[in-house]
Amino acid sequence: MSCTVHIPSPLRSYTAGASRVQAGGRTLEEVLASLEIRFAGMRFRMIDEQDRIRPHIRLYVNGQEANALSMPVGAGDTIHVICALSGG
Amino acid sequence: MALSTDERTRYHRQLNLPEFGLAGQERLKAARILIVGTGGLGCPAALYLAAAGVGTIGLVDFDRVELSNLQRQVLFTSDDVGRLKVEAARERLLALNPEVSVLAHAVALRAHNVREVLKDYDIVLDGSDRLGTRYLVGDACVLLGKPLVTAAIHRFEGQAMTCVPSQGPCYRCLFPQGPEGEVESCAEAGVLGVLPGVLGALQASEAVKLATGVGTPLSGRLLTYDALDLRFTELPVSRRVDCPVCGEHPRITAPQEMPGILEAAATRTAQRLSPRDLRDLMNTSRTDAPAFVLIDVREPWEFHARHLEQARNIPLGELEGRLAEWAGEGNPVFICRSGQRSLVACALALRAGIGSPGHLEGGLLAWGDQIDPNFTM
Repeated sequence: MSCTVHIPSPLRSYTAGASRVQAGGRTLEEVLASLEIRFAGMRFRMIDEQDRIRPHIRLYVNGQEANALSMPVGAGDTIHVICALSGG
Repeated sequence: MALSTDERTRYHRQLNLPEFGLAGQERLKAARILIVGTGGLGCPAALYLAAAGVGTIGLVDFDRVELSNLQRQVLFTSDDVGRLKVEAARERLLALNPEVSVLAHAVALRAHNVREVLKDYDIVLDGSDRLGTRYLVGDACVLLGKPLVTAAIHRFEGQAMTCVPSQGPCYRCLFPQGPEGEVESCAEAGVLGVLPGVLGALQASEAVKLATGVGTPLSGRLLTYDALDLRFTELPVSRRVDCPVCGEHPRITAPQEMPGILEAAATRTAQRLSPRDLRDLMNTSRTDAPAFVLIDVREPWEFHARHLEQARNIPLGELEGRLAEWAGEGNPVFICRSGQRSLVACALALRAGIGSPGHLEGGLLAWGDQIDPNFTM
């Protein structure tokens, strides 16, 4: 199952500049694991050592905020990764 | 507040809007709006607010205009380089609309002065370029009960949200805490010049709506804008019951400095050098064996534009991988433009077990002010 993941600007250094990538998985956790295989180090920028979403990151599945990595993900779903920006 | 004949002519196109009308324009004239940061976001926001007839506009910025600002900070001209931003901005806004009042606050917002600066304004726009300031302003707005229109940018991407106290989520509901250290600034990451124009104009639009009661504010919704794909996305944001500032049991009851975790550690431990301290250190090292290594952690393009002769360049983003480069040469003294990145560099050095790092407080801006007036960036 493949979904579309929108990558925030500060993390696009991992995706060679791509703003959207395809990833597989039945849960958010599996999607992030799939991303980690292709883009090493990216998961740690979003998820801490206790598997919690970092407080400056927000994850959405089809426009609904994900509070846990167990959130189900289906084929064709859209995931948004939002990162706090500081530039002004 | 009644409008003069000239004002009725100047604002004719707004007065013609049935939703806005005379009552809306008079509310705008009575409004007091503060813009934090006269940078990429603050400049277009200020232009539109002044043009629209906001009665009192406050500007907060301690910085001076640099040539590299002009690609996006549309209030300034080449002749303004070196001037205080708030002074140059005030002149430009009054030239656009002499009917408005513009107050310049050439200060750095800190926990001790943020209440005083914000207290006389009805609405706050945050266009600052530092996360610590964003949390300081966001918290203060909640504590003072003032609506906040926040926006931020990075490369080709921007985001905006309006925070209405007691009615919708605050900045901390959106992002409870910043990342360790700072995220990249525009100077480090680069930014498309027109990007803050889009976001700053949105902030101005939100402020006008809040001041006049027209429309529906961007509250409880985060708007993101990707200029590369020209894609706007709106995502819901809820209030957090455990929010430390607006939740059911707030822990933040007064404005406080919110440095990143790394910066906080460095603030306690790193050696802080004034420009005079650094000058003395550099003079000493010319006669004795060098006891320190001067490392400029700005980006290469910033370094090549102007740097201290004795400094070597290791950009902050590369620092952790290059810590061994000066092993045995002496303690590192980090420098950057304003003293923010150099503090993070100290923290990274401390975390790697390098004892006694130091940094130049106030950065090369302070060096130019206090030691070498010819040192401009």
